[in-house]
Amino acid sequence: MCDQTFLAIVFGPCDKCSKEKPLRAIYIKSEQLNYCSLCVEMMATEGLHENETLASLKSEADSLKGRLEEERAKLHDVELHQVAERVEALGQFVMKTRRTLKGHGNKVLCMDWCKDKRRIVSSSQDGKVIVWDSFTTNKEHAVTMPCTWVMACAYAPSGCAIACGGLDNKCSVYPLTFDKNENMAAKKKSVAMHTNYLSACSFTNSDMQILTASGDGTCALWDVESGQLLQSFHGHGADVLCLDLAPSETGNTFVSGGCDKKAMVWDMRSGQCIQSFETHESDINSVRYYPSGDAFASGSDDATCRLYDLRADREVAIYSKESIIFGASSVDFSLSGRLLFGGYNDYTINVWDVLKGSRVSILFGHENRVSTLRVSPDGTAFCSGSWDHTLRIWA
Amino acid sequence: MKEIMSNNNTTNISQARKAVEQLKMEAYMDRIKVSKAAADLLAYCDAHIGEDPLIIPVPASENPFREKKFFCTIL
Repeated sequence: MCDQTFLAIVFGPCDKCSKEKPLRAIYIKSEQLNYCSLCVEMMATEGLHENETLASLKSEADSLKGRLEEERAKLHDVELHQVAERVEALGQFVMKTRRTLKGHGNKVLCMDWCKDKRRIVSSSQDGKVIVWDSFTTNKEHAVTMPCTWVMACAYAPSGCAIACGGLDNKCSVYPLTFDKNENMAAKKKSVAMHTNYLSACSFTNSDMQILTASGDGTCALWDVESGQLLQSFHGHGADVLCLDLAPSETGNTFVSGGCDKKAMVWDMRSGQCIQSFETHESDINSVRYYPSGDAFASGSDDATCRLYDLRADREVAIYSKESIIFGASSVDFSLSGRLLFGGYNDYTINVWDVLKGSRVSILFGHENRVSTLRVSPDGTAFCSGSWDHTLRIWA
Repeated sequence: MKEIMSNNNTTNISQARKAVEQLKMEAYMDRIKVSKAAADLLAYCDAHIGEDPLIIPVPASENPFREKKFFCTIL
């Protein structure tokens, strides 16, 4: 699996208060010290030091930004598609709609696969959340949420529960039961509370924790059982629209994208932003990690998808065409990471060769915007959901 | 509308300091060359492309979505 590709968070005694906590490195007068997050906060709120003004801090920030750009540029010795020239081109693709899931009464906004590679949960604008068996297209469960625009839904790793939320500003977990006498809505558990709409949610490696992203500009990690907030992630300057967890079993990072055009990579234990990327020209609607965990792709309203490498700390590829002028709402990689599927607002799905940067296929079928797209856990198919009220399984 | 000057200043200062610390951390990060990163991405693709059912299609009988079987249960 993937190596640690980011700053390792050190655990130990803080240089200031001597308590054992996760530490972050800070630089005071060019000296590196390790402070716990509380001491960092306190240091940040101290009064101005000698020779320091708000303006001098601002100009220091600007010069650091310049330095960051220089450092990144120094390592930009080649383009990904140049390195990929020696790779064999992909053959012709025959991908067709194999199943159409009909049943939602309004726009499908989000979907997720179960780890059993068969079941799918999807949510729509009319407040309905449906669990489907994708092989037979049967509906197994249906829940009506008390709010409309259910923009986020996720399947628990065990397959025993689903999480969803939207304009109710909450993320609710519903245990799935096959008992006909039980009303699913009765067992609902409200886990997350944000101050604006919920845009994305995902279980971590277990059923016990949920990561959420919200229109209030923050992401948060919650304990499902108690509903307690475990960690919050502040840094986006506008609504956060999407998130994705790193694929490693020991993974402790996730990436989020927002309306501030930034994609930020976070450490889940300390709440700190490790890296941030700002090359998109509009809202980032979707982010997805490359299967190795060393890179991630993003889809944006600026009609491009981009690939960012975490260890090189920069954008390494742009997937765009002059003929594509509508935003990409959702992206996902195939199992090997060679293909990137992008669902767009012009009703199509574009399939990109990740390494060469070229488009290999364009899939038609939906009759309205494609709002969500996920590849199945074993890579045999991918599912797209659309504003035309249907979901399609392609293989 | 005038806010209390000291509160406003403290918030601005702490925000500016945090921004500076965040940028310092990002600027001093260890990076690798794009050529190495690209080579690793290629290597991962090469290693796993054989298992990717969307690129190297498995026989229709093994892909549950491509086969024509209908699923029935005996009640």
